[in-house]
Amino acid sequence: MAHIHLEDGSFSLFWVIVWWTAAIILIGISLYLLRSGKKTDSRKITIAAFCTAAAFAIFQVSLPVFGGVHLNLTPLIGILTGPVIGSFVVLIINILSAAIGHGGWGMIGANTLVNIVEVAVAYATYRLLKNIIPSLFSRAGIATITGLLCGNIAMILIIVISGVQGVSQSTPQILTGLSLLAAVNMGVAVIEAFVTGLIVAYIGNVRPDLLGGERS
Amino acid sequence: MTALPEKKGLLVFLGLLALVIVVSLAAYQITGHMGIEDRFSHAVGLPHETGDETGGGWFGLSLEGSPLLYGLVLGILAIGCYAAYRHFSV
Repeated sequence: MAHIHLEDGSFSLFWVIVWWTAAIILIGISLYLLRSGKKTDSRKITIAAFCTAAAFAIFQVSLPVFGGVHLNLTPLIGILTGPVIGSFVVLIINILSAAIGHGGWGMIGANTLVNIVEVAVAYATYRLLKNIIPSLFSRAGIATITGLLCGNIAMILIIVISGVQGVSQSTPQILTGLSLLAAVNMGVAVIEAFVTGLIVAYIGNVRPDLLGGERS
Repeated sequence: MTALPEKKGLLVFLGLLALVIVVSLAAYQITGHMGIEDRFSHAVGLPHETGDETGGGWFGLSLEGSPLLYGLVLGILAIGCYAAYRHFSV
């Protein structure tokens, strides 16, 4: 949902390299954690594959809400696969999206960082609320809202820190504009929260083993 | 015994949604009706064309990027999912 919809050239080359480097470092850490830990559950790999396909499919579809917006299912990816595998999933989705013309190649690093924030925060919120909110639907929904809110904040920070080439607006003006954009974006988070809550609750009913044995 | 926390969870969730909807609608009223690309350009001060990205497609849904490549990549991903599902016997 939070996705930097700016064309290549909006950020200077320096900042494109900075965000790409930061994303590669995070992916490297994920790879290290994945390889150094115990053997990955084969079910997680299959779920990650399904998440990649589903998120890629829905990510490209513009919904007729608020003039055109799209979902991206990153909180669902976080809840189902965790932040380590989820980091790879969002990187692949961003690369494939750029390959078909949705988003610039130079923006993949920054967008991957934004999406990793969404994945990690949604995962952490979902886990932390386990003992407080037993309902899978409500917990997944709250995790989605929290994850997407943090993703939007990360998006704003990345754009404000980088600056946009060729604009005459001051930083406070850009900050105001982006805050309004993020607020509109959050309206779509409501749809995403319902979708994520329903999917997690459904999985809890039919395959609780995929959620670590949790039933809805 | 779990009925109360479950209701509390749902109330928190619905309260959050209500708050988000109010803030979002207010922001939408301020910024006006425009597509996501235009909304971004407008937010950062880049030149933009006014208009939305809705309409056309199926029931107002439209695809971003090349539809042909979208179908191709999605097909490959679906085959990959099927292979993983069979291979790991999930």
